[in-house]
Amino acid sequence: MSPFELAEPASLAEAIKLLDPQDSSIRPIAGGTALMLMMKAGVFRPTRLVSLRAVKELSAIATQADGALRIGAMTPLSMLERSAAMLAHAGVVTQTLRTLSNVRVRNVATVGGHLAHADPHMDLPPVLIALGAHVVVAGPEGERTIPVEDLFAGYFETVLRRDELITALVVPGQGGRRAAYLKCTTRAVHDWPALGVAVSLDGDSVGAARIVVSAATEKPIRLAGAEAALRDGGHDDAALRRAGDAAADEAETTSDGQGTAAYKRQLVRVYVRRALAAALGRGGAH
Amino acid sequence: MKRTIHFTLNGAPVEADIAPHWNLVELLQREFDLFGARESCAQGLCGCCTVLVNGTAVSGCLFLAAFADGAEVVTIEHLAGGKLDPVQEAFLECGAFQCGFCTPGFVLMARELLRAHPDPDDDEIRHYLAGNLCRCAAYPEIVEAVKLAARNMRKGA
Amino acid sequence: MAAMGSGQVGRSVRRLEGAAKVTGRAEYVHNLRLPGMLYGKIVRSTVPHGRIRAIDTEAARALAGVHRVVTIADIRAVVPEPFYGPAFHDQPILAVDKVHYVGEPIAVVLAADPHIADAAAQLVVADYEELPAVYDEVEAMTSAAIVHDVLKPAGTFPDLKHLQGRHDTNVALDFHLRRGDLAKGFAEADHVFEHTFRTQQVLHLPLEPFVSVAEASGGADDGRLTIHTASQSPSFVRIEIARLLGWPENRVRVKVPYLGGGFGAKLYIKLEALVAALALVVRRPVKISLTMEEQFYTLTKHASTFRIKSGVKDGRITARQCEVWWNGGAYADIGPRITQKSGFTAPGPYDIENVHIDSYSLYTNLTPAGALRGFGIPQLVFAYESHTDMMARSLKLDPVEFRRANILREGRPQATGTLMQDAAIAAVLDRLAARMNWGKAFERGSGTTRRGRGIAIGFKASISPTTSIAIVNVAADGSATLYCSTVDMGQGSDTANAQLVAEVLDIKAEAVTVVHPDTDVTPYDMATLGSRSLFHMGNAVKLAAQDARDKIAALARELGLPEGSNVPVAELFQKKYKMQAGNIIGIGSYIPPYAPPDHDTGQTPNATPYWMVGAAGAEVAVDTETGQVRVTRLVNVADVGRPINPRIVETQLSGAAIMQLGFTMQEKIELDGGQIVNASLADYKIPSLLDIPTDIQSEAVEAEQQSGPFGAKGVGESGTFGVSPAIANAIDDAVGVRLTTLPLTAETLYRALRAAANEPLED
Repeated sequence: MSPFELAEPASLAEAIKLLDPQDSSIRPIAGGTALMLMMKAGVFRPTRLVSLRAVKELSAIATQADGALRIGAMTPLSMLERSAAMLAHAGVVTQTLRTLSNVRVRNVATVGGHLAHADPHMDLPPVLIALGAHVVVAGPEGERTIPVEDLFAGYFETVLRRDELITALVVPGQGGRRAAYLKCTTRAVHDWPALGVAVSLDGDSVGAARIVVSAATEKPIRLAGAEAALRDGGHDDAALRRAGDAAADEAETTSDGQGTAAYKRQLVRVYVRRALAAALGRGGAH
Repeated sequence: MKRTIHFTLNGAPVEADIAPHWNLVELLQREFDLFGARESCAQGLCGCCTVLVNGTAVSGCLFLAAFADGAEVVTIEHLAGGKLDPVQEAFLECGAFQCGFCTPGFVLMARELLRAHPDPDDDEIRHYLAGNLCRCAAYPEIVEAVKLAARNMRKGA
Repeated sequence: MAAMGSGQVGRSVRRLEGAAKVTGRAEYVHNLRLPGMLYGKIVRSTVPHGRIRAIDTEAARALAGVHRVVTIADIRAVVPEPFYGPAFHDQPILAVDKVHYVGEPIAVVLAADPHIADAAAQLVVADYEELPAVYDEVEAMTSAAIVHDVLKPAGTFPDLKHLQGRHDTNVALDFHLRRGDLAKGFAEADHVFEHTFRTQQVLHLPLEPFVSVAEASGGADDGRLTIHTASQSPSFVRIEIARLLGWPENRVRVKVPYLGGGFGAKLYIKLEALVAALALVVRRPVKISLTMEEQFYTLTKHASTFRIKSGVKDGRITARQCEVWWNGGAYADIGPRITQKSGFTAPGPYDIENVHIDSYSLYTNLTPAGALRGFGIPQLVFAYESHTDMMARSLKLDPVEFRRANILREGRPQATGTLMQDAAIAAVLDRLAARMNWGKAFERGSGTTRRGRGIAIGFKASISPTTSIAIVNVAADGSATLYCSTVDMGQGSDTANAQLVAEVLDIKAEAVTVVHPDTDVTPYDMATLGSRSLFHMGNAVKLAAQDARDKIAALARELGLPEGSNVPVAELFQKKYKMQAGNIIGIGSYIPPYAPPDHDTGQTPNATPYWMVGAAGAEVAVDTETGQVRVTRLVNVADVGRPINPRIVETQLSGAAIMQLGFTMQEKIELDGGQIVNASLADYKIPSLLDIPTDIQSEAVEAEQQSGPFGAKGVGESGTFGVSPAIANAIDDAVGVRLTTLPLTAETLYRALRAAANEPLED
């Protein structure tokens, strides 16, 4: 690694000022676990890193008046994992966190950093999309909100401007919705997912299912065709199978060290079906 | 671009002049001759570089040294102040290592595990320690050692 | 055998270095920093095969903080003939004229700050004239791409001499064995089976990557070098560095503390020649620590192709033809030894009258391959034990019974003609079958989860001829210190050797101090490899301790004490010297008998000092919709002779099996046109706690190696032998599909399932 300037602003406003919309060598750093990997590999050589660790306003977990759970962007993943509020609000997030990377990374990596990194192999984005979550973003012109579903522009790319920061993640109240996330790895149990599948149902009703795949695709993506296949509300095994088949037809899987595109399509077929079964509480769905 | 940081290292206040691009492992080795945390995979995957910062385990190889400023840092060398702690004792008893390069990381993570879950089952142990790699694969012995340590700690508590 | 008098042998003594390891204080080269030390960063080839037109070091030299950028021209000023290697003098300290694989060292940047050395190394630019390259071991036999213009055998091994000066070939060694009448054997057979198996290139991946430090002192005529290195072969390093420099051995000192894993990677010369030359060039201590990524460019395990053909009559194997091609990569390293020493066991532990073996060591444009825990045996066992199962299945014979009917029994000749002695093949097979409950019904699963089980058994000959020497020093208070050059890389050799000394001297193993390899102090040992140390060094240690014991007895006689008077050793010294003074030095030297194989037939009456036997059984659950395989149970049974330290033996067996489990299910160096695309632990996945079966069992059968120390023999590799084929056999048992290429990935199996159903998955 090469030397750089490390700025440690104490406020959000100051942090935003230290960023530069034109300069890709200046970036914010939160926990830094992902950024350190990029710097060590030499794919990112910063001139300035703007540390958000001293920005106090970014780390609370609180329930909003509308019933949504607001999670400060600097919340470490392990804190979210241990949060009773999160477990009560959407236990699928808690469950997902338990197999996300490893304990040490979860102790340091933050919710905001996890989302801003836009690595398609991250576990939370598909889950958050299925839950209908959005992020709050601050920039020189003030605040805006972006649905997590719209946050990712592509492989390691978000729609964020270089002088914008994610300040919070907001997960809406789930009412009677039920969700499940299945992580499929192909090279080792403990690996980045080769495929992540998150689904969310309205109670037992699959008619309003949200089905999201990640990792096997360039970015996390909702599968409208698979969702449509369930719209008539049938949720017997044949219906779930149809949804899996539709998902496999629809998902644009990519080939890499974790498997060929054709094989990953088969994984999508199987795991979408199984995720739906899991959300419906059918354990022996294999 | 050197800067001076102040932190608590193994119970004692210290200061160090560091460069912004140093990681925590380098800081411990270069400035304090502490070699128990080792950079191996350099990607936070093997756990050889485990260090406790403000009471939680971090991968020292992915942790900027500058972030230690003001923090409380504990390394393997500090456990139980001279006497072996129950986890170390159990690792010895069960022969839960071979080459020893990954062992400090496993010991620190096992202590963290037992702090959070004093009576872990096999599955909890395997999941918690899945982010630590042992190429000699003394894994069965490690699981055994963690369970032994848990028993001994509960007895001692 | 000796009586088990003092109870030190057979006791699960805690590791002597245990406390140092659990407190993070164990000494590794990794920890070493010397005053004035420079860090070296290696610049590596970016092309698989090419002539070097130019290396531009200007920008690197201009970077502030760079001490020097060194190329082969600088190295040649101190080492005019900079080629090394245990079998061939083919590997240059830095590339000479040509590069032969991606990642080959071409230059080194030296700086006091390792970050600056790293940054500068990226500024060195080389220009190549690319040459045609070859990567596949079978293609290398006939390829127009020739890796080395001319072969340069080291002269160490007589059977390589005929290769001197050979050119236009990639064959670094061809080994042939002929026994019986193969054509007749096949003609007599009722059934003839032929299959081809392939294994992949994998990595040792010790968590302590390669690291070496060199410091030079003195002048041109009395110069000395001290090399601190994470090496499994300190004696070899000393001799080879002395040869490269034209110095006597005693001016080169090699020191080795603990190793953070070795597994065969840290043998012979790796970074040692480079740091030695650099220290002489710049006259400052130089350290090179490789990154995890750089290990992928240093040494790998041979990929292999094995075509095996067998004739069977009435359930007996009558003939077997073995053709094995070993992918040695760009430099021979110890590959030719694997081709021969493991090659002659290619027919497996079976009693077969008519056998042909042709085993070829090939150069290719890949990272060099060398020894890796098993020395070629796991590749061979994967083939011959998959083949055994396929035959049994086809003949509708029980796999255990088919093996029982064919295994080599005690006293029968192996393919080389050497008689089997102290090789508990039958007992290992019996114990494995019992542990697997083989005779009982097995729950086969249902729906999309199918279960199966499989077994496999393999064997290995110890490397020979090799020498070990040990010294036991008894001090005036009776305490004992052992000096030997065996490297404790985690296998527990310090503890085991201390137990041997303690057993002979009737003291506690914990009271013995073991001095780590330091060639100024500890005597010669061939190397710590191939599970040889406990047998070879163990015998030397036992002899040294006995020599010391005999000298103590002689001292007692000299002092006029009656035979068997059992006066404490300290009192003997006191009586002799009138104070606490003096030493008794016991020396042991061990070299087992050996007869080299005939060049044409491979026949020899004494191929090995002992045989290792290892078997594995696996139970698997297969997800038929995804091809995912869960190994739910893994049983390892081995003949280790008499265990010196049962606890460590068990860890060695299961550790070896788990490592081989990684090579079976997960690990593969992925290549794209000679470029490695997964050179990190993020993309090259080794087993974690979640990848291993919850049910792992290991057993050492009751056995004794009569020529071993207290009946013991090596154990480091036996756990690897049967794992891969046992799992492949279990998968076939579960879903009726045969995988013949490692690793056995989910996608490979899923594709095979689809192909078997005549619905092949598109590429």
